[in-house]
Amino acid sequence: MNNFLFDKRRIHPWKPPIVLICRIMKITAFLLLVFITCAYAEGNAQKVTLSLKNAKLEDAFKQISAQTGYKFLYSDEVVRRSSRVNARFEKADLHEVLNDLLPNDGFSFKIIAETVSVTHKEEKREPSAVVEYVQNRITGTIKNREGEPLIGASILVKGTSVGATTNAEGEFSIAAGGGATLVVRYVGYGTKEVAVDNRTVVAIVLDADDKTLEAVDVVATGYQVLDRKFFTGASTKVDAKEAERFGVPDVSRMLEGQAAGVSVQNVSGTFGAAPKIRVRGATSITGDNKPLWVIDGVILDDAVNISNEALSTGDANTLLGSSVAGLNPDDIESFTVLKDAAATALYGARAMNGVVVVTTKRGRNTDGAVNINYSGNYSTYIKPNYNQFDIMNSAEQMSLLIDMENMGYLNHSGVSRSATGGVFHKMYNLMYEYDENTDTFGLRNDAPSRYDFLRRYANANTDWFDLLFQSHLIHDHSLSVSSGTAKSQTYISTSFMNDKGYVMGNEAKRFTANIRNNFTITNKLRGEILINGNIRDQMAPGTLDRASDPVYGNYSRDFDINPYSYALNTSRIITPYNEDGSYEYFVREYAPFNILNELENNYMRLKVMDIKVQGGLRYDITPDLKYSVDGMYRYYNSEQQHTMTEYSNAAEAYRANQDQTINGANRFLYSDPDYPNTDNFVVLPNGGFFNTRNNNMIHYYVRNNLEYSKQFGDHSLQGFATLEITHGDRQSHDFTGPGMEFDNGNLVMPSYRFYKRILESGNAPFGMRYTYDRQVGAAFRGAYNYQEKYSLNFTTRFDGSNRMGRSKTARWLPTWNVSGAWDVDRENFFNADNGIVSNLRLRSTYGLTANMGNASNAIAVFYNELTYRPYEDEREGKISISGLENSELTWEKMYEWNLGTDIGFLNNRLDLHVDYYKRNIFDLIGSVRTSGIGGQFTKLANFADMKGKGMDIELGGYPIRNPNGLTWRTSVTAGYNETEITKLDVNSNIWNLVRAEGGAVLGGPHRGLYSLNFERLHEERGYPMFTGSDGTPGTTYFWLQDDEIDFLKYEGQIDPKVMGGFFNRFEYKNFALSFLLKYSFGNVVRLQPSYSAQYSDLYNVSKDMINRWIYQGDERLVVIPSMLDGYAAEYQVYDDEGVRNSATYTYNAYNYSSERVAKGDYIRLSQVTLGYSLPGRLLERTRIRSAGLTLVGNNLFLLYADKKLNGVDPEFYSNGGVALPVPRQFTLSLKLGF
Amino acid sequence: MFFFALSGCEKYLDQNPDMRAEINTVDKVKRLVTDAYPGHNYLAMMETYSDNVEDKGVGNLDEPLRSLYFWEDIDDDDTNTPTAYWNNCYAAIAAANHALQAIEELPELGDEVLPYKGEALLARAYAHFMLVNLFAKVYEIGGANDSPGIPYVTEPETVVIKEYDRGTVASVYDQIRRDLEEGLPLLADGVWEVPKYHFTPASANAFASRFYLFTGEWEKVVSSANAIFAGGSFVGKIRPYNSTFRELSYEETRIRYSKADQEFNLLINETYSTYARFTGSRYAMGVDIFQNVYNGRTAAGAPFYNFGLSYGPPHYTTYIWREHFHVTNAAANIGFPMLMVPVLTTDEVLLNRAEAYVELGNYPAAIADLDLMASNRINNYNPNTHAVTLAKSKEHFDVTTDKEALLETVLEFKRLAFITEGLRWLDIIRKGLTVTHNVIDDQGAETFVELTPNDPRRVFQIPQSADLSNVESNPR
Repeated sequence: MNNFLFDKRRIHPWKPPIVLICRIMKITAFLLLVFITCAYAEGNAQKVTLSLKNAKLEDAFKQISAQTGYKFLYSDEVVRRSSRVNARFEKADLHEVLNDLLPNDGFSFKIIAETVSVTHKEEKREPSAVVEYVQNRITGTIKNREGEPLIGASILVKGTSVGATTNAEGEFSIAAGGGATLVVRYVGYGTKEVAVDNRTVVAIVLDADDKTLEAVDVVATGYQVLDRKFFTGASTKVDAKEAERFGVPDVSRMLEGQAAGVSVQNVSGTFGAAPKIRVRGATSITGDNKPLWVIDGVILDDAVNISNEALSTGDANTLLGSSVAGLNPDDIESFTVLKDAAATALYGARAMNGVVVVTTKRGRNTDGAVNINYSGNYSTYIKPNYNQFDIMNSAEQMSLLIDMENMGYLNHSGVSRSATGGVFHKMYNLMYEYDENTDTFGLRNDAPSRYDFLRRYANANTDWFDLLFQSHLIHDHSLSVSSGTAKSQTYISTSFMNDKGYVMGNEAKRFTANIRNNFTITNKLRGEILINGNIRDQMAPGTLDRASDPVYGNYSRDFDINPYSYALNTSRIITPYNEDGSYEYFVREYAPFNILNELENNYMRLKVMDIKVQGGLRYDITPDLKYSVDGMYRYYNSEQQHTMTEYSNAAEAYRANQDQTINGANRFLYSDPDYPNTDNFVVLPNGGFFNTRNNNMIHYYVRNNLEYSKQFGDHSLQGFATLEITHGDRQSHDFTGPGMEFDNGNLVMPSYRFYKRILESGNAPFGMRYTYDRQVGAAFRGAYNYQEKYSLNFTTRFDGSNRMGRSKTARWLPTWNVSGAWDVDRENFFNADNGIVSNLRLRSTYGLTANMGNASNAIAVFYNELTYRPYEDEREGKISISGLENSELTWEKMYEWNLGTDIGFLNNRLDLHVDYYKRNIFDLIGSVRTSGIGGQFTKLANFADMKGKGMDIELGGYPIRNPNGLTWRTSVTAGYNETEITKLDVNSNIWNLVRAEGGAVLGGPHRGLYSLNFERLHEERGYPMFTGSDGTPGTTYFWLQDDEIDFLKYEGQIDPKVMGGFFNRFEYKNFALSFLLKYSFGNVVRLQPSYSAQYSDLYNVSKDMINRWIYQGDERLVVIPSMLDGYAAEYQVYDDEGVRNSATYTYNAYNYSSERVAKGDYIRLSQVTLGYSLPGRLLERTRIRSAGLTLVGNNLFLLYADKKLNGVDPEFYSNGGVALPVPRQFTLSLKLGF
Repeated sequence: MFFFALSGCEKYLDQNPDMRAEINTVDKVKRLVTDAYPGHNYLAMMETYSDNVEDKGVGNLDEPLRSLYFWEDIDDDDTNTPTAYWNNCYAAIAAANHALQAIEELPELGDEVLPYKGEALLARAYAHFMLVNLFAKVYEIGGANDSPGIPYVTEPETVVIKEYDRGTVASVYDQIRRDLEEGLPLLADGVWEVPKYHFTPASANAFASRFYLFTGEWEKVVSSANAIFAGGSFVGKIRPYNSTFRELSYEETRIRYSKADQEFNLLINETYSTYARFTGSRYAMGVDIFQNVYNGRTAAGAPFYNFGLSYGPPHYTTYIWREHFHVTNAAANIGFPMLMVPVLTTDEVLLNRAEAYVELGNYPAAIADLDLMASNRINNYNPNTHAVTLAKSKEHFDVTTDKEALLETVLEFKRLAFITEGLRWLDIIRKGLTVTHNVIDDQGAETFVELTPNDPRRVFQIPQSADLSNVESNPR
């Protein structure tokens, strides 16, 4: 721990001895832990506060269970024989309470492993009295599915009055004939009939019929597990069993539609790419809006931080963006989403975006018995097909191309030497392929020959989806072993996932291992160790990072071979195979290109290893005061290997040097300044590339906690203090490796010119960067409760981070929160027997939370760079200013007010949670435009304020529950969220607002989509015309970087206003049927930018093009712009003022116009499952304890979506690279327990 | 106790979050000052405002050239715009100010840092000098110069939006002079890896000669020019157009033009620019300028030799700019277009000195300097026919006085020597010349627009965004 504080790079010679003080603090804390073990107190520390009047004993048990987390096991007999009880306890010992509560006549109880079993003593004598008279004596055990003995279960010989109860070990003995049937009953478990079948030893397993007894009402905040009466915030618990997404290996998707106010948007379905998760909408304009993930009490940082926008770029890094992707869904017990400021207060300045607390499974006390569980999912993907999309078939497209040819496009000079070319390119070049021997050309240059040539392509109708998509079997297997005694409980699991990929070139394998042990050293000292590791091995199509061109308004990605984009964008006239079955090549970047060949020769391999070791110790200093310490160490290493073999188009493009035209035009060739009079050089004469990029992280975390709780009469008090330190070092390095001949034993044959060019361009073939994350935090939480009716809660936290640089003031931030709750149902005036409302609680909170934001210029920031000079001997190192000092820089902050209620209906069969919140978000960080006079014309500053409001509604429960018949579990969630920017010091430019990701405008939502207003098509030429920036109609040119934006048309917000889910599960006997609907409303999406003045012979076009402007007068009927001939595109596009511009601008403007927007609303059938669990009697004679089979359909279809989307998923941003839409898949899931 | 412990952890949080630099050694100060030069250039704005361009009637409507040609205010801040140059000059100034602040705060750097302090002062003076001449009224020798100047920034900015005052042209010039005269003597012991990209004593004197030319301190122009080379001789030091260059290929010459190892380059700026790509622009050098100006007969009696060529008439280029594409992603081949711009050259200093000699009445010295220029430029230079003489100049310009004739000769030589380098604009404002641009309409009819000496559009408009700092715009 000491070396966290030791900094080698210090520059100041002297500082006050505060390091020492800090260190002493830590040593003290440690010694406290080690030495204060002297105080020892007998008994259980569980404290109970009860106030009962004429209550049923059963209800008393329930309340105690709720407070302590202990389970109660008792038979019908106990209930039947007990009378109503009156009691009043304040913080009384559990033993004492039970002694008082239970009637003296024959009742007794035992506490084993947090389970209180209550028996009636007289019962035991009854069976023994019978035994003496019966010859056939049967012994056996009764256990639950987890292998825990059921104490006090009743056994009755069917048709007789002979009965028995199990003892503390779950054992029984009863007298019954060999042909008799035993009826086994246990409260909370189903009744079961077991035939004796002449056996003398019978092992019976009972199934819990629901979870009422287990559902202890607690909230896991990551720091504490709190009794709900002390918890006054808004949270949703999602049980992993209900959220299980069979066949979907990423746990973050389990939250889909399960919690109100939590939106999960699958911007890419590729494994490892994080979904866009928002808890109660966005809080920051430029910063991360990601919630904090807390796994078993410790924050899980993403090793590679992917910003809001980057999530949807499709860059290779996005696959590393989600650390949660390394978790095995089968290891998860539950999620708790902390939503309001009261719930997240202990996380202070990291939790403005909400917290997702993940609790993983732990071992249980099985008295040493071993439970083994296997679960396996076998899935297959369904290929998309052209019916879903609105794409021209090859005949339609060929006729469009012929039209273009008639307009003067696609002529020989324009096409034959183009960088990228399809059918026409091929045709023209073939005409010049001369064969000396036969004195013929590859193709005769006359109309019939050309027609013949093109006819093959016109009839091709290539099905790219079928070619590039696969329906492989994906399988994942998970095996867990759990076992435990009273002193030590262990859970061990391992899993393996193998996904052969939805599309060619994609593949993912994941291995996980998880060990968790909880141990008790003494009654006062308990501990826990978790070891968690995962390995990922993934393949993706080779991809380079996306570049944005704000001048013409487009994004570009060189050598993009994303199969989905390719299938969606490539014309169906292009054929992958020649008539002889060999690959057919067209041209990209002057080099031969075939997608199948390219996917084989240009790929990325991603390797991730992530190991986490976590430990904790809890020590009860006194029964009221507890100390605990938690620590975590994490080692993460990932490597991206990008291979482009010598046969890939990406490598061949470096060698495309066929003639003088291409020599001059190919940008991958090199003009060597030392040889100024020669042609451009090829810098990659041999081989391809082997480029690597590594990201690794070493992360430490330690926290010391002190917890106090005490009851004084009607008053109970709780205090919690924590001090934590985070230390994370991230390193990334990359290497460009040219000239590797993969076919020749990876022989490396680079040309010095490749390096010369890199060096001359001021670049380096390799690089390495560090980032350092240092955080300290101290928090205090105080809670007060009066008579279990009124709760008050106060939390404050003081955060410090190095992220803002070495500024002493900006790095610290205190946050606070007050909250309260009123349990109305505890009031005397509340009639508990009203039959409708069984539970009523009101909550409210107000407080400040914060977020660090993406700025670190609290003091001036300088970086080392190389000068951008052309010649090696003229280069120098320089230090440039990346950010001027912003002495006013502070964290992004938010005041949140939340009003919530929890209502239980019909004896808590249905629960309703409603939360209304209002947010005042301020000091948001973003780029602010300045006068430039200080030396930086855009600066990061706290430039914006925003207000937000919303409502979360959850209704769930069991409308029907019949252990022997139908059980219906349902849950409806709805989250409404609205934001409005109330202050914005700088306006975005047009480009930032019209692109798919949208932008911020004063008075608009956090992120709004704006459009250039389309007015009409030009009456003579059919090109589109728009409203100009000064309101003038008939404009054809926009300067997209203009920050005059008032004229833009507001289309709607990017994030949905309302989203939620509807989950239902029906169980009947051994069958279970469930479905999950997910819905989202109130947002808009930008359609793919697919229109231009001319179309290529390579890319497909929408069927809409059939309805384009063709003849004068069409402008009254259609809104699809015409194709322009080459001359018109350059010289005949005029605006109404008569000013001419190039058609490129005009047609790009159309892509970002009001015509190219669709509603993002959808209702999606996310999952349907049909399960069958094998009946116990089939399994009784096997070693198998349980077995279940589930058939699952995932992401089946959109029940509703805007037709304008033409079949494209509204959640998905099709940006190429590694991004893929979420596939439709079917899964067969098998679960076995031994 | 908690808070005490937290304050103890200040040290822990002092770890920088990433690999940022801290200015704490002489070497780092030096590296920071390396960045104190404008990262964009004035080529498009100064050249297209001047009389070196014409409307060809056809060609690409490249922005910002079109707007510049009509002397329109440009809102765009993209490459080649006045706003980009404004922003980048101030960015250079910020680097200089940070270096100067570090030097002040770290006395332990000692005397070793002084040359770089001098360099920072010079860089600060240079950037302000260019700004004040472009964005404020030109300095009037002997005048009040009380019209608004440009903000003279002498300390790092520490708040997001700071208010600035334009001062007056006179006050800005005073501050430039102070920095120039304080910084120049400090440069003596400086050691630079690539001196031509820095203010060395030579380039500082070259800048001084330009500065004093604007302020009319003719002796200082001469003494600054003389301080560059021992003995003040420029023989063999200026661009060898009609000798070495003639023997090289176009491409080789282009490389030498902006190469640091050439003696005629005194200060080179590395700038982000796509200026070299405007080869087919409608508003650039056309037939008229190419034939009648660039290849026109000079006062010396013959045209200057040049590399002018055409990428297909009527588009002509001087073929001196070589774009360097700084690749940021080798595999994707994306990067920045860079232009190395020689902003101070011996050719300019020579002509500055010639003009000062004229103003001082030392005509023989002036003629000698002009003749040196002619002898380096005229193909097959023959002293008998090509020497600069008073008589030839008088006749060539149809003027009567000696002084007028020689001044015109200086201006003509300078115009031709630096065509497409933008420097013509400095002479136009300094000498109050009227600029005439032709305009060809859709029907091919030609009209003319004029920019007279008192036209408010001669002063580039202060960028719109400057009003954030309460800096008032120029009148229009």
